[in-house]
Amino acid sequence: MPIRHRVVALAVLGCALVTSAAPRAAELRAIAILTPEQSTDFGWNQQGVTAARAVAAERGLELLVAEGLGYGDVRPTMRELVADGAGLLIAHASGYNTAAPEIAAETGVPVAIVDAPEALRPGLVADYTLSGHEGAYLAGRLAAKLTRTGTVGIVVSGEPPSWNSQSIAFAQGVRAERGDVTIRYAVIGPAAYSDAAGGKRVTESIIAAGADIVFGQGDGSTFGMLQAVETTRAVDGGDVLFIDVIGDKSSIDKGHLLSSVVWDMTPVYRAMLDDLGAGRFGTRNYQISLADGSVSLLRTPQIPDAVWEEVMALRDEIIAGRIVVVPEFDAKAVRPFVSEVTSP
Amino acid sequence: MTPLLTEAFLSALLYGAVSAGVPLLLAGLGEQVSEKAGVLNIGLEGMMLCGAYAGFVAAWSSGSFALGFVAGAAAGLLVAAVMVLLCVRLALDQIVVGIALTLGAQGLTALLHHFQFARSYPRLPAATTWPLPWLSDLPVLGPALFDRHPVVYGAFLAVGLLILLQRRTRLDLQLRAAGERPEALDIAGVDVRLVRSLAVAVTGALAGLGGAFLANLGAGLFVPFLTNGAGFVAIVLAMLARGRPLWVLLGAMLFGASLALTTAIQVAGINIPTDIVQMLPFAAVMLVLVLLGRRASLPAALGRPYVRGSG
Repeated sequence: MPIRHRVVALAVLGCALVTSAAPRAAELRAIAILTPEQSTDFGWNQQGVTAARAVAAERGLELLVAEGLGYGDVRPTMRELVADGAGLLIAHASGYNTAAPEIAAETGVPVAIVDAPEALRPGLVADYTLSGHEGAYLAGRLAAKLTRTGTVGIVVSGEPPSWNSQSIAFAQGVRAERGDVTIRYAVIGPAAYSDAAGGKRVTESIIAAGADIVFGQGDGSTFGMLQAVETTRAVDGGDVLFIDVIGDKSSIDKGHLLSSVVWDMTPVYRAMLDDLGAGRFGTRNYQISLADGSVSLLRTPQIPDAVWEEVMALRDEIIAGRIVVVPEFDAKAVRPFVSEVTSP
Repeated sequence: MTPLLTEAFLSALLYGAVSAGVPLLLAGLGEQVSEKAGVLNIGLEGMMLCGAYAGFVAAWSSGSFALGFVAGAAAGLLVAAVMVLLCVRLALDQIVVGIALTLGAQGLTALLHHFQFARSYPRLPAATTWPLPWLSDLPVLGPALFDRHPVVYGAFLAVGLLILLQRRTRLDLQLRAAGERPEALDIAGVDVRLVRSLAVAVTGALAGLGGAFLANLGAGLFVPFLTNGAGFVAIVLAMLARGRPLWVLLGAMLFGASLALTTAIQVAGINIPTDIVQMLPFAAVMLVLVLLGRRASLPAALGRPYVRGSG
């Protein structure tokens, strides 16, 4: 066969392989999302499913939801979802990082995973390691403006990358606003995501150490933190306030929710579908930011109007690039940052 | 900078240590009774979880913490009844059944929570305490130890009660015989399966009570997987304590104190990697109990179902 024909044949074969591995948006009829917990947690799982539902509705796609899967072997569930017609699997837990790429290679159906920025594979594996660090920075500024005792706390139920970057950004915000504010930081336990009792216990200790505003990051354990701020008085005898992350707990608040760094994953999933349609899925990581509204700070009645306006002015500065908050994901960096951080 | 070593902070740490230790104490005492009778109760986590769920639902719907604790113990007892049926009466594998009970309890309570509370996440008010005269006024120790809910005092009294049972009654002898030489107990005319059934029932009730404590007083709410492995920690405590209730108390309080210490180290801003700090409770308990208990041994028939005539 002449060399020219061989080149053409190889090109045709290559195109065929790429086409089979990455379904085009036009062929896409359904997408699926897999979550470790139920989508009613006012947090990570709920925001993920809500965003997937919004994007599916927007694009006229069917959404298959497999929720409450835990952290065991999700391969059988993934195969079932593929068999049911899913053309994209959103594996919404860092615990699925091993299984999902394997299923992508096995079935040819692309997957999106979290907390694995280096795992990109064109046409097959994309990563969306998200961080609301810009919002956490604003939360830190807000907390420093409103603390009465001069001490704020950070309680986390583990040290995944997203929370590390938010803890550091919160500390940066506090320091930028008021250099004299003390920051107390504590991790509940090793992967204590559902340890509500631990969340309450550690938060009570943080409050006893002087904190009157607590920035809490957890899943089920967050409810224990919320319970602690509701039932414990600050050292000055006043109320303790709580800043949440990812979701909006306003509907279950008893007057102690100060704010939340809310994540909206809709732009992320929308960009994934666009990339899938354009044949560039798996070539980049996805992020959230204040600029596109995918990160925002929740406004509650606990925030005075004047303070809110000041915080929104800072938000505009970040969007304009005059304040730059650089994410730092490493757990080892958190503790020195919390005690020695300098403001950006 | 706000001073850290204040009376309020130290008292909160100690309060937290006791709160973390009491569920382990109750479940560990229960597991010890069961193990003494020869039944390895891996389903302890499931019993605690069901106790936590039922205890919370009862307390939340009735407004009575007392009713919540009764319901928690009853739920633990109910799960224990399944264990009795499958492991003691039908002589099935205790480890397999125990794991199945835990997985079943996790799924069931998560499902019930999803339909009942997933959109409201109700939380209980702070419970009324019983301050002990004079003692509750002590600095640091008073609020942490002597101004607590009656269940806390009850948990400590349970240790004394079990020690008394060990030393003054034939029941302990029968329990030990059921765990060491069940065939000898049978020959002596005592129903081995009845002794083991009662032991597992006591385990279930205590584990359920521990779970209810965790939900109602420890967290003030229920979320799926709330026990977070506390049942397995209690099993380890019971095994390392090897038949001594006082050692379960020691282990549970040491675990709670170590948890409080990990919080103190972190809140003080001491720069030690979190992973190492978080190992402290587990390492401390294992080190102390292994060193102290290395001469003791587990019951010879532990984990072996008893079927008359099969030995």
